[in-house]
Amino acid sequence: MATIVQQPVSGPSSGARKGTRGRGVQPLRAGQGHSFLLRRLHSLTGIVPIGAFLIEHLVSNFEALKGPAAYAAQVKWLNALPLVRVLEWAFIFLPLLYHSGYGMYIWLRGRSNVIYYPWAGNWLYTAQRWSGGIALAYIIQHVWRQRFAGVSLPEHPGAAFHKVQVELSHPWMLAVYAIAMVATCYHFAYGVWLFCAKWGITPGDRARRSFGWVCGVAGVLLCAVGLASMYAFVEPKYRNAPSDLTPAQITEGTQATAPLGQAHTRD
Amino acid sequence: MATTTAPLDTRSPAKLKTVRIEIKRQASPDAEPRWEKFDLPLRTGMNAISAMMEIAANPVTADGRETTPIAYDANCLEEVCGSCAMRINGKARMACSALIDKVQENGVVRLEPLSKMPVVRDLSVDRSVLFENLKRVKAWVPLDGSYDLGSGPRITPQQQEEAYPLSRCISCTICMEVCPQFNEETGFVGAATIAQAKLFNEHPTGRVLKEERLHALMGDGGIQECGYAQNCVNACPKMLPLTKAISDVSRDVMIQAVKDVFTR
Repeated sequence: MATIVQQPVSGPSSGARKGTRGRGVQPLRAGQGHSFLLRRLHSLTGIVPIGAFLIEHLVSNFEALKGPAAYAAQVKWLNALPLVRVLEWAFIFLPLLYHSGYGMYIWLRGRSNVIYYPWAGNWLYTAQRWSGGIALAYIIQHVWRQRFAGVSLPEHPGAAFHKVQVELSHPWMLAVYAIAMVATCYHFAYGVWLFCAKWGITPGDRARRSFGWVCGVAGVLLCAVGLASMYAFVEPKYRNAPSDLTPAQITEGTQATAPLGQAHTRD
Repeated sequence: MATTTAPLDTRSPAKLKTVRIEIKRQASPDAEPRWEKFDLPLRTGMNAISAMMEIAANPVTADGRETTPIAYDANCLEEVCGSCAMRINGKARMACSALIDKVQENGVVRLEPLSKMPVVRDLSVDRSVLFENLKRVKAWVPLDGSYDLGSGPRITPQQQEEAYPLSRCISCTICMEVCPQFNEETGFVGAATIAQAKLFNEHPTGRVLKEERLHALMGDGGIQECGYAQNCVNACPKMLPLTKAISDVSRDVMIQAVKDVFTR
């Protein structure tokens, strides 16, 4: 067999790219650059850890339906995980930063043509970009207002229910949360489907179609869990939740009496 | 066509007698594009190419001005050569199979060159990026040797079944035109090249270059740029299983990338 010599890639260098604008799409830069690694990393971070965290977050929020004490207990438990701040940065903030940053870069470089080709897959492609953008805008304000601004919940898990309740008491904020919930769950569900299609896990048409249903149903269920837990904060049952719960109230429920003057101490 | 008095168009309220063809023309690669309109008597079985042949026979616009015949690429006129891809009423398709009475919208058919390839003149575009891409993924079976290599390995009917649909590609570049990811920003390689990489990766002799093809497709503008909008497979005139090919080659590229980490 003849030896195959790797031909140097001819054609416009990256420096000449500006000059080729309007001169058509340049050919494949065979074997050059790192975009394969970066793009696959973007794809993977969307599933783990970000997708896994999304499920954890929505399932944790579901505890709110059991009342302020149960919700506070869940917040307290999560914040008692070993190395919780390291976990938070390594598995939530940094992956989110990368996924959203590279995601915006992907969005900006695509040229949506759904007007000319209004086909299902093309709509889903466009919706994936918009839902990602909506989710990003929402997450920025959500992380700022709920994690970093106001009462610090890691130190005061008892204040969690009240903090969210105050936030959701504004009708427009409730709407923002509901829209973001739908957008995020769509983005995740379709993202899982895309992951399996792009990584060659579901190459066949039939496999892709049936897995589409699986992702669709899972996404709707996840969204239902999220919207249900939002309802816990606005339903009449837990109206005017106490602004903070004592450790005793967290373990025994809101009926436990707070020792006087000890509402903000921890044991 | 055997029928001589077939109704031309039953969908529009007034029965069409003539059709208006609007063509986006451009005298040279750098000239400003302009629109020219032509009114043609609508004939049974008329397609976009035969309409332009009629214009060439009498190149006079709808407002009576003399003009030049339209420049376009076409050859086989039966949707197998891949030359005549263009945008017809906004959608990329083969002009020879675009029957005027089927594609007209309110009696108008707009013909434009493919939007992502440099225009040579009028509807003729330079699609050499596909040829260049095919070369870069080595989309061929290496056969040359300094001695008689003998007969090739047997190809089973099962392998033929897999390969045949991919071998139908006519290099029309419609899959690239309709792809939201195929543009000057990404420099995406496009579905056709990926499908051909799969075709030759699965060929018993072509397989020898598989690793090189996978490495090529890892490069910038490679397979990772696919956004899975699936327009390619919907628009392909030859119905190639393009999304399956992308998925399959994607997996091979991923496995190769992991292998490289440990063995290269």
